[in-house]
Amino acid sequence: MMMEANDIFQVQQVIGDSVQVGDMMVTPQSEALIVRLPFGGLVWHRPTAVLVEQAGQVSRIPIVDVTRLLQWTLLGLSALAFMATFWIRSSRRKETLS
Amino acid sequence: MINELDQSAQLGGANQQIVQAMADKVFAAAHSHAVYGEPVVSGNYTVITASEVSSGGGAGGGGGFGPVPQEPSPEAEAAEARSPESNAGGSGVGMGGGAFGRPVAVVIIGPDGVEVKPVFDATKIGLAFATMLGAMLMMLGRMRRAS
Repeated sequence: MMMEANDIFQVQQVIGDSVQVGDMMVTPQSEALIVRLPFGGLVWHRPTAVLVEQAGQVSRIPIVDVTRLLQWTLLGLSALAFMATFWIRSSRRKETLS
Repeated sequence: MINELDQSAQLGGANQQIVQAMADKVFAAAHSHAVYGEPVVSGNYTVITASEVSSGGGAGGGGGFGPVPQEPSPEAEAAEARSPESNAGGSGVGMGGGAFGRPVAVVIIGPDGVEVKPVFDATKIGLAFATMLGAMLMMLGRMRRAS
């Protein structure tokens, strides 16, 4: 009955149905994180790229989640500001003691 | 007794079906159709929306119970047959779940080629920025008080 980690966590590369427009064939790609538990589960699924096939050439156009990127940037900036404040405070204390 | 077991098995089977139906709905988010919308054609352009989706759910089930079986005797069987209300049973199942979706980009297929336009969620960024600003102001205030 014990579930292995591979059974619980799965990362799947999902390829969607291709769309033919003129001489272009567009295939969407996405990535899904699946967590399967005996009493439930969780799925997180995000688009990653579109593959464009035209005249025998295939190009990959990535899909960038700008909102998520900005959120992480702001979080990083907050962490940096917190660390800087902590560092300034501790250096000031050292100065006062010496 | 056999009747009780049958009822319990039926209830258990029904619960299992409900939980399975819920699990199917949760894991349906892993399908590509959940992320990419149906292509919309307008003139020379075809538009496909791309969204981030997440779903989750959990369930728990119960079981049935009845009176502890007595020593088999014709009297006990007759008493049980006379009072069917003494037959206990029951089953229960509880579940919860949710799903979330957010547009990430729009894929535009036109005469000039394929273009991916990102979707910018100003509300989310505004909230994150306000939280960051608030935290920074709090830290600055503490620094001033400390010095």
